[in-house]
Amino acid sequence: MPRTSVAARRRPAFLLAAATALLAAGAVACGQSGGSSAPEPSASASGDADAGVLGIRDPWVKAADEGMTAAFGTLVNDGDADVTITAAATDVSPMELHEMTMKDGTMVMQPKQGGILVRAHSSTVLQPGGDHLMLMDLTRPVKAGDELTVTLTFADGRTQAFRAVAKPFAGAQESYAPGHADAPGASATPGTSASPAA
Amino acid sequence: MSTRIRRLASSALVAALAAMTVLLAPASPAAAHNTLRAATPAPEARLSAPPAHIILEFAQRLDPAFTTIVLSDASKRKVRTSEPTVTGATGTVTVDEPLAAGSYTVAYRIVSADGHPVQGSYSFTVDEPAAGAAPAASGVAAPDAPASGVATSGGAAPDAPASPAASSSRSEGRGPWPLAVGGLVVLAAAAGVFLSRRRRRGTTA
Amino acid sequence: MSDSPTARPVSRRGVLTGGALAAGGALAGATAVAVADPPRVRPASTVPVAEVGTAVEPFHGPRQAGVATEPQAHAAFVAFTLRPGTDRAALGRMLRLLSDDAARLTQGRPALADTEPELGLLPARLTVTFGFGPGFYTAAGLDARRPPSVVDLPAFGIDRLQRRWSGGDLLLQICADDPLTVAHTQRVLVKDSRPFATVAWVQQGFRRAAGAEPGRTQRNLFGQIDGTANPRPGAALDAAVWVPDGPVWLRDGTTLVVRRISMNLETWDLLGRTDRELAVGRRLDTGAPLTGEDEHDEPDFAATGPDGLAVMPDFSHVTRSHVSDDRLKILRRPYNYDGAPTPDGHADSGLIFASYQADITRQFLPIQQRLAERDLLNEWTTPIGSAVFAIPPGCAEGGWIGQQLLD
Repeated sequence: MPRTSVAARRRPAFLLAAATALLAAGAVACGQSGGSSAPEPSASASGDADAGVLGIRDPWVKAADEGMTAAFGTLVNDGDADVTITAAATDVSPMELHEMTMKDGTMVMQPKQGGILVRAHSSTVLQPGGDHLMLMDLTRPVKAGDELTVTLTFADGRTQAFRAVAKPFAGAQESYAPGHADAPGASATPGTSASPAA
Repeated sequence: MSTRIRRLASSALVAALAAMTVLLAPASPAAAHNTLRAATPAPEARLSAPPAHIILEFAQRLDPAFTTIVLSDASKRKVRTSEPTVTGATGTVTVDEPLAAGSYTVAYRIVSADGHPVQGSYSFTVDEPAAGAAPAASGVAAPDAPASGVATSGGAAPDAPASPAASSSRSEGRGPWPLAVGGLVVLAAAAGVFLSRRRRRGTTA
Repeated sequence: MSDSPTARPVSRRGVLTGGALAAGGALAGATAVAVADPPRVRPASTVPVAEVGTAVEPFHGPRQAGVATEPQAHAAFVAFTLRPGTDRAALGRMLRLLSDDAARLTQGRPALADTEPELGLLPARLTVTFGFGPGFYTAAGLDARRPPSVVDLPAFGIDRLQRRWSGGDLLLQICADDPLTVAHTQRVLVKDSRPFATVAWVQQGFRRAAGAEPGRTQRNLFGQIDGTANPRPGAALDAAVWVPDGPVWLRDGTTLVVRRISMNLETWDLLGRTDRELAVGRRLDTGAPLTGEDEHDEPDFAATGPDGLAVMPDFSHVTRSHVSDDRLKILRRPYNYDGAPTPDGHADSGLIFASYQADITRQFLPIQQRLAERDLLNEWTTPIGSAVFAIPPGCAEGGWIGQQLLD
């Protein structure tokens, strides 16, 4: 269903317990027992591949001190039915689903109408220059090496959480589509953390 | 006829001495490599008494960390000597065991100022103590020792005392000059023997 | 393992074929063919090219890779200075990032968020070895856990150390048989380290190309065969290199000394071949000790020549560096460096000396002291950089390098 505003989070209690899984294979490969300073995730690691709606491969988020940043990864749909992500959430920032699209000869970033679709038996890559999960306004820095928990909401109401490691990333410079008056600054690319203690 | 031969012999002797001088001199005054200039006992020396020291004098200062002097007997057994003592360009070892009569080899390995290793060796002989007839000549020709004064003494007998520094044990530390003169006299003596033999041969021919 | 480099059969065969046809020139047509159609030849190769690029060295394990690993053709030693404020938690974040990068790239997978993923596809036996300098332990507040022998070396009379090649809080030794792999890996690791550290120095080096001289000890830029007297792989190497017991952050670790040795090729040029061999104690062509026939013959320090002098000069490098006890040997894993010559054509070349040993004080220092006191080779070499590191134990799948220390 097309939406024009940020989807309200819906977390049916039974789905919260059943559907949360730490499927971020890449991010946690070298960090499960680490003393990460990221806020403790509300979702527990189930380790059961079937518990997640999607497989999440190589998730990561751009490290940033403030303002906006983005999370990326490969979403794998091994099921028989198409899956649509309608919202994303994290406790350090409000989030939106964004796409990059050509407008008047330049690539601009804008909310993705209709959510992010992952077709049956296929995968969708969220990457700089393409679809991604936008963190609109950090309430605290996301430091390089931190782990962030992101919770996806799907069209059918299910949710799924994964952990994404923060990587230093200068990245491609994206610009906002005109009309997003509340976008802080012209660049969607946050600076990398200047100091580990920041 | 004998006059002509004598004149030929003299010029031959001068040439021979000149050749020996060249051989024993360093390649050039500005040579980078350290060379042996004088040694006690001298190369090919015949000693009536065993030496207490081996003294080697080189053209350049020695680095004690890179100076080796060894003494071996005729059966290649190493003779006990001290570690080398280095003073300037001279390295000395004491001979720590009495040497029996026989031939000995002195070998050295040093490093020149430019870091290039140099090694060499020579022999000397300790005669039987009762022999007494062996000359106590010592020393080796230094390149700048005057040769002219000695050249005419081609007829000297081989067993004449060679120099004031008659025995090797007394020539230590006196510098190369007495040794040089002694060396040239030895050469001259050898040349004289050679020439007298030739003269004899000439008359019988 | 032939001694002589094989002449390229390509040109020889081509010449012969062409010549034969030309000689039999009565066949006009054949001659024309010989000129117009160069004979097809397959170049000789010792290792199939594809294997060099795809070959993989494992990353995970109880001990880090890149120590006992057969040395690869190219290396970059990258030393970092930790930024102020990089505390124990920050070090953990950094090492998790760098360990993940290394785990992926060594297996032929691009790093996470790799901006040049195609450059991460040919591992070419890539290894990334992590070293912790004394400052690393201080930053972590864990000085008590630093291996006691990992402290700056004492000054030696031969040293002319430059700050720009010395010290370091963290080291990454990046080695691979492919230089592009090394460059890309270095780029990824440097980018991920930037929030935590600055680059102190990078020493890049090389050995023979992979497969060029299989099984042959490498040569340095003096032309010498360099590394013969290493402890043999297996029990001897293990005894010399790996810490056998102790706390979990020390066990299965080792230590590393990295010294940049400048070679004076200009004065080396003035040295004759025999003198070069006397200075080293080995034949230049075969690497055999002066008392032996084969590279791996044990030198006979008691052997004398006809004049009574020891055949192995007491000032030779081999004599001065010799160690009989396997447990006191060091594992040398050096790389050549070759900077740009000066406008006068003077070389800027030398050796990135790298040695692994369980204990620097017990094993490395005595050898270095003997060499500093006396080693003729010092005439032509000068240490211009020096750094020491602890090499922590390896990590299992799901773990990260330094976890045993910092967690």
